[in-house]
Amino acid sequence: MSSTEQGTSSAAPAEPTTAPESAAAPEVPESFYYVHGKDKVVHKVSAGALQHSALIHGMISNLGYTEEQAKANPFPFENIDGDILQMVVDWCNQHKGKPTPPEDTNLPKQKEKLFDLVLAVNYLEIKELLTYCCKQVAMMVKGKSPEEIREIWMIPTDAEDEAAEKEAKKRAGKEAAGETAAAAGDAK
Amino acid sequence: MILSKYPFLVQKEIFHNMKYSELFMLSFVSKNMKKLIKLSQEKRFKSIGSVRYDYDGADEIRVHVYYGDVKEMITKTEKHNEAKSVRKSFQLNVSGKMIDFRFLRPRSRYVHPIASYQQPSEKETAIQSIHNYLFDFYGDSVEYNWLTTASEWLGRSSIPTLPQIQNLSFCVDINLFPETNYAEMERLENFFSSSPVLKSVRMVAVTNQSFPSKSKLYQAESVEIRQEEIIDTCILRDFQGRQAFLRCGEVSTSVLVEFLNRWKSGEAFKKLEYLKVIMDPISPGDRIFNGIVLSYIDATKQPPIHTLPKVFNWQYYTKSNTDPITSHTYVVREADNRVASILVQEKAFSFGVWNKTEEEFLKMVE
Repeated sequence: MSSTEQGTSSAAPAEPTTAPESAAAPEVPESFYYVHGKDKVVHKVSAGALQHSALIHGMISNLGYTEEQAKANPFPFENIDGDILQMVVDWCNQHKGKPTPPEDTNLPKQKEKLFDLVLAVNYLEIKELLTYCCKQVAMMVKGKSPEEIREIWMIPTDAEDEAAEKEAKKRAGKEAAGETAAAAGDAK
Repeated sequence: MILSKYPFLVQKEIFHNMKYSELFMLSFVSKNMKKLIKLSQEKRFKSIGSVRYDYDGADEIRVHVYYGDVKEMITKTEKHNEAKSVRKSFQLNVSGKMIDFRFLRPRSRYVHPIASYQQPSEKETAIQSIHNYLFDFYGDSVEYNWLTTASEWLGRSSIPTLPQIQNLSFCVDINLFPETNYAEMERLENFFSSSPVLKSVRMVAVTNQSFPSKSKLYQAESVEIRQEEIIDTCILRDFQGRQAFLRCGEVSTSVLVEFLNRWKSGEAFKKLEYLKVIMDPISPGDRIFNGIVLSYIDATKQPPIHTLPKVFNWQYYTKSNTDPITSHTYVVREADNRVASILVQEKAFSFGVWNKTEEEFLKMVE
């Protein structure tokens, strides 16, 4: 049960069951939550829109916030740039309560923006949007040679991978030696 | 955009949205990338039914991956043609051989890389390298089949030989036309004799020519033959493979009787699993079976259903099974007590061998 449902049911005691069955049930007012990114700009988002994010949906389900509490405690996503969070919020609002279409053409075309959006969407666990984003990323290398793909996705060469692996081994060796020396010092 | 900064699950999702030809290109970026693709797409690669090399008998070999009811081109090889080189080519080290690749249509939906070779003699080494690469990439759980159509060669000055490549099965589609003459039949026979044992042969024969009884054609694992007139009875005498699907105008009863007797005695058809002959209305079953010792399952009981995965499916991309045989009639091979169900219908004779002794077979009867 979501916090919205909990709040509503605790605030309004159950009505006697004398109302005719054909009468339409009163509309439950939509509850809102607040989120902000690295830029601290707060976005008001409905619980319905936030259902797209498994992470936030899980958080609000357990909190049981009232409207006032939600306003006073926006969810901080310090790892997400403000403009990226805005894109995510817009997407969640646009697709609130709707089946998601097979394709989404409104994703950013700029590589870096798309890269940040993928990370944000993955963190927020928005499955459908992640799928669209990954499709868009995959499209970037359509009809490209391996060298072109390497440039687009900044993939290291074998030589670079080997050098990085050697460096990592060297670093691990040094750290292990440092730990051994520190342990010996402690023993003394 | 730095792909390596994405978590594994995101990389996996990106790769999942890439076509096989794109993953093929991506795998050449680095050794680590190839490993990552193999690791993240393990489940997807396991769903591949087969990789097929479609050879037109001349210059072009198209490499497709088949999964579910879909076929998707990975790459194709063709003789280098300067006029077609609209985009700059690039070289890739494919299993130790440097091969030129290019893309033909930059904005096409059907983008796939094209491997080219300069001399005809380089064709086989190019495809061998590509095959070795794909075999390592997709693994040995995938079937690798080479398909070629023999009718393309008729009238040409030379018949191409099949490449000597390991972990590859060969399937040949042959059309014999009324004008196919003795010389052409001889050329085809030379082709069979110089080829490895074929996985499957599909043949449409509108001719009265036939192959000699010792032809290596009859060693094929599976044959699908359609002949308008009297079927080349050599197939019913000399076939040494596992599955035969025959369709023809007429088959004499004596040929079927001989077939059954030779199977029962263990003299021939030792590897046979399934035979189906579709023909014009045949004689009643009791006449076919004159002089053959048959066994019967109690008429009140339900016989087991015989069906097998087809060795090769020419019609569809997916694997399919042989038509089920449900029959109360069966024969037993004398040498090893193996059972074969027999079904005679108005226009079909079906024969399905069980990998069971008579005792084991009867235990399956309900």
